Amino acid sequence: MNESILLIPVLLPLIAGLAVLAIRGPVRLAREVVTLVVMLANLGLAIYLFGQDLTFVHPWAGVWGGIAMEMALRVYQFSGFILLAVAGFSLLVALYSWKFMADRSYGNQYYGYMLISVAMVNGAVMADHLVVLLFFWEGLLLTLMGMIAIGTKDAWKTAIKAFIIVGVTDVCLMMGIALTGWLAHTLRMSEIAAHPLSLAGLGSVAMIFMTIGAISKAGSMPFHSWIPDAAIDAPLPFMAFLPASLEKLLGIYLLGRITLNLFALTTESWVSTLLMIIGAVTILLAVAMALVQKDYKRLLSYHAISQVGYMILGIGTALPVGIIGGLFHMINHAMYKSCLFLSGGAVEKQAGTTDLARLGGLASKMPITFTCFIVAAAAISGVPPFNGFFSKELVYDGALERHWIFYAAALLGSFLTAASFLKLGHAAYLGKRDPANEGVKEAPMAMLLPMIVIAAGCVLFGVYNPLPLHYLIQPILGEHRLEGHDFAGLPANWMLVAATVLVLAAALVNHLVGVKRSGSGLGAADHIHHAPVLSTIYDWAARRFFDPYDIGMAIVRGLSLFLWGIDRFIDWIYDSFIVTLTTGLGWTVRLAHTGNYSLYIVWSLVGAAAIIAFLMRIL
Amino acid sequence: MLAVFVPTLGAFVLPLMASAPRLRNALAFVFVLAALVGSLALVPTVLSGRTVDVRLNLPLGLNFVLHADGLAVFMAIVSSLLSTIIVLFSTGYIRHYDYQNEYYLMVVLFLGAMMGLVYAGNLILLYVFWEITAIASWRLIGFFREKQHVIRADKAFLVTVFGALAMLLGFVGVYVQTGSFDLEAIRTTLKAAPLGTLAVVLILAGILSKSATLPFHTWLPDAGVAPSPVTALLHAAVLVKIGVYVFARLFIVTFTITPECHTAILWVAAASALVSAGAAMIDTDLKRIIAYSTVSQIAFIFLGLASGTVIGIAGGLLYILMHGIAKGGLFLCAGIVEQNTHTKDIRQLGGLLKTMPITAIAFLFCALSVMGVPPFGGFFSKYMVLSGAVESGQWWIALVFVVGAFMTIVYLLRLFNMIFLGDLKKEAKEGSPVMVACVAVLAVLALVSGILISPSAEFARTAVQQMLGTGQ
Repeated sequence: MNESILLIPVLLPLIAGLAVLAIRGPVRLAREVVTLVVMLANLGLAIYLFGQDLTFVHPWAGVWGGIAMEMALRVYQFSGFILLAVAGFSLLVALYSWKFMADRSYGNQYYGYMLISVAMVNGAVMADHLVVLLFFWEGLLLTLMGMIAIGTKDAWKTAIKAFIIVGVTDVCLMMGIALTGWLAHTLRMSEIAAHPLSLAGLGSVAMIFMTIGAISKAGSMPFHSWIPDAAIDAPLPFMAFLPASLEKLLGIYLLGRITLNLFALTTESWVSTLLMIIGAVTILLAVAMALVQKDYKRLLSYHAISQVGYMILGIGTALPVGIIGGLFHMINHAMYKSCLFLSGGAVEKQAGTTDLARLGGLASKMPITFTCFIVAAAAISGVPPFNGFFSKELVYDGALERHWIFYAAALLGSFLTAASFLKLGHAAYLGKRDPANEGVKEAPMAMLLPMIVIAAGCVLFGVYNPLPLHYLIQPILGEHRLEGHDFAGLPANWMLVAATVLVLAAALVNHLVGVKRSGSGLGAADHIHHAPVLSTIYDWAARRFFDPYDIGMAIVRGLSLFLWGIDRFIDWIYDSFIVTLTTGLGWTVRLAHTGNYSLYIVWSLVGAAAIIAFLMRIL
Repeated sequence: MLAVFVPTLGAFVLPLMASAPRLRNALAFVFVLAALVGSLALVPTVLSGRTVDVRLNLPLGLNFVLHADGLAVFMAIVSSLLSTIIVLFSTGYIRHYDYQNEYYLMVVLFLGAMMGLVYAGNLILLYVFWEITAIASWRLIGFFREKQHVIRADKAFLVTVFGALAMLLGFVGVYVQTGSFDLEAIRTTLKAAPLGTLAVVLILAGILSKSATLPFHTWLPDAGVAPSPVTALLHAAVLVKIGVYVFARLFIVTFTITPECHTAILWVAAASALVSAGAAMIDTDLKRIIAYSTVSQIAFIFLGLASGTVIGIAGGLLYILMHGIAKGGLFLCAGIVEQNTHTKDIRQLGGLLKTMPITAIAFLFCALSVMGVPPFGGFFSKYMVLSGAVESGQWWIALVFVVGAFMTIVYLLRLFNMIFLGDLKKEAKEGSPVMVACVAVLAVLALVSGILISPSAEFARTAVQQMLGTGQ
């Protein structure tokens, strides 16, 4: 078995991507065909590699003080699974883009960046060496920026915002990796995994830095604020492609590796508690923002943030049930969220807008899109028997075992999630149809097919959940960590299920009340939006008082002004102080030069006396 | 030793060719190229672990020693490579201005002195070449002869020369302690006991003033009034690296100093990185921002070198290479922008991506390399420097530098954003083909040096082994 096959998932899309970037002019379908063929080949390769355990090592950037920088790639259970998922989503999004991007300019850039992104993600997933991981991981920055920037006219502002946020957290990851390598005396993940680092002392510092990188890629708070902006500015399939699926997979994959392989995370550790707090806060704040959005894409983008909270919460519990739940939720989320974004794209393409106020009544015009939407929305809301239900139950289970407050937060999050999707579905697909939308038709097959496939997957992973759990997720932890548990099948704790059902019912009641009070599906959440206190906070949020990016930039600016002041002070010393001092000194000395001969004689005698005195002392 | 003499002596030939500008330009290019070729020819020898010495004993116990080891050759290649590109760029840029004879004389002389400094085997020789570079840069900064420019040139000269005088006193201190100016002899003597603190501080003052590090840094942004190829040459490729090089040569290879001094250097570098990054964020002059960025990045190099770990020192060396390429590219791009828009105020610029696409992309590539984004070369050097700092046990200092790296990302993107994106505020066309080709080459180099990291990493490793005396 030749291990260098592991280079193909990186090199093939990379070369194809560069080639597509170079295609110009009237060869219209060339880039689409190249992209699809490469994505298909990539999927085939991922299927072939799945289940194998291969390691490829090649010298790379030298050996430094005993730590080698090697190009080390490894496929095993976990990375093989992510590789497979990445390949699947990329293929579907590429297929979808065939029609969606057909009449857009920048097509060659779009497909080129897409292919290169796949190469980078594949590389990062397969990396067995932390610097290799970082190399591909940060390489994604470029395509991320590029894909956002080719959107609307002002999209480059968002692109720069995304670049700064992700770039800064990547530097944190770099710091984390440097610390980890120093503590572990190796940078090979498989070697560290044999003896995970203890969280005592610097270990937790290293872990925090690495975690910042991981959860930022996944889009967790407080590194999220570019995502809603990108939802508006970037081409829509991009949202389904990077923030909704590939980056989630990558970020949570790394978080999984950090907690499972690199560091010995235990329930007693404060890092575990910190992760759970981040998770819970992300769930609540993001979903609260999602609830009041009036745009299809923007609403979804807040959910893309909120759902990460469940994964981090689950993995942060450091309990097998929570970790399994978090990882299961990762793959489930990638499915239903990309399906939801794709449905949004279908609506945008057909109706020409994603503004909910101008949508409505599309269900009869776009029945297949609507059905896919319902399946995915039910899955994200945690309605049984769809996949999201099962993974959320596992996360709940883990959260409750740690502390009821985390469970309560997660449950409240589910309530709001369900409420906002009832609102979204109602406003977009039901209710009164805008006269402008009378002529809307169902989306073309190339766009429907990916949605149908993913929606079917949501049902399959729910109804027959032993398939993903037994074959994909539980082997990641391995028998010794599972301690004989099997999390497939129906949830173990029926009390939790009852609570979930109760919450969903409450969400439905809440929705009906809201519709009744406001008279439309769009206004279904208005009574929460305009509630006392909440309305003020929402108002501040709408005016971007809470955007961590803006706050961070303000701090940076303040700090810079201070530092600049120091710089100016130093410059003043050179430009004014020294000059004044020198001229002042010269002026003082000149005063002594009066031209008076007898005075000069006195000076000379005093000087001579001083010299003699000095000589006498040292002799 | 061709590398030293051809440019140094050749420089004085150039003004004689004033009547034939093309010949003069070609000769200047050839002289600089000779330095590059001469240094490249030494690569196989050095890679095999040997060193080359030229020794000429003079009366009064002085001697003339040139010494080529991995560090010297590495540094020589970096500076002569960049100088070659910069001289080529100059042929497009300086055409429009007077005093071209002086320009080529000074640039080539500068490079020759640089070569001499790099290969110098004793302290006095090193000092002599050091001062020649100061004189050449003084003339080049004041090149346009406006009053303000001349004052700025004086400022740069005075700051660096006072630094150099302090350094000379430090050298005397070294002589008092060891009885020699010869680097090899000093190295052997100082193995026993570390160098006295006073001498260390004096020499450091010289190095920091040359390398534009806090608190001696403000002459560098002010020197931005010089013609763009000059600022690129001075700031990025050569001048500021002189200090760094001498630091590596003296404090790592030759002297033994106390750990307290090492820590103090790290703190100075950390302060320098932050203060200049802050200034880069606030300033609105295109070239001043890039100059502040240089100050900030130089501090990263000091961080790597002063960490005392193998990976940190090698990272520092690679940083010299990567930063030289990328920052040279940035300055040359700035030169194109400045020449075609007649302004350096970034508030008056914008939207140039449309009219100067190649320059814009080259600028972006170089900026990305400075930020340390893979697959650009800057990624490796930044990681290695950081890793070296962590490994030396000073991880809290590494944290300061992480903040510096944040700010690097922010201010460089701000700069790119203000110049090339947004609404077009000032019509401008692309620069002349030879100038655009030069920045494109640098941008591609920034990329290639990252993708093909192995050769330069291998070279840096050999150099570090020689420096620490572990490889032979």
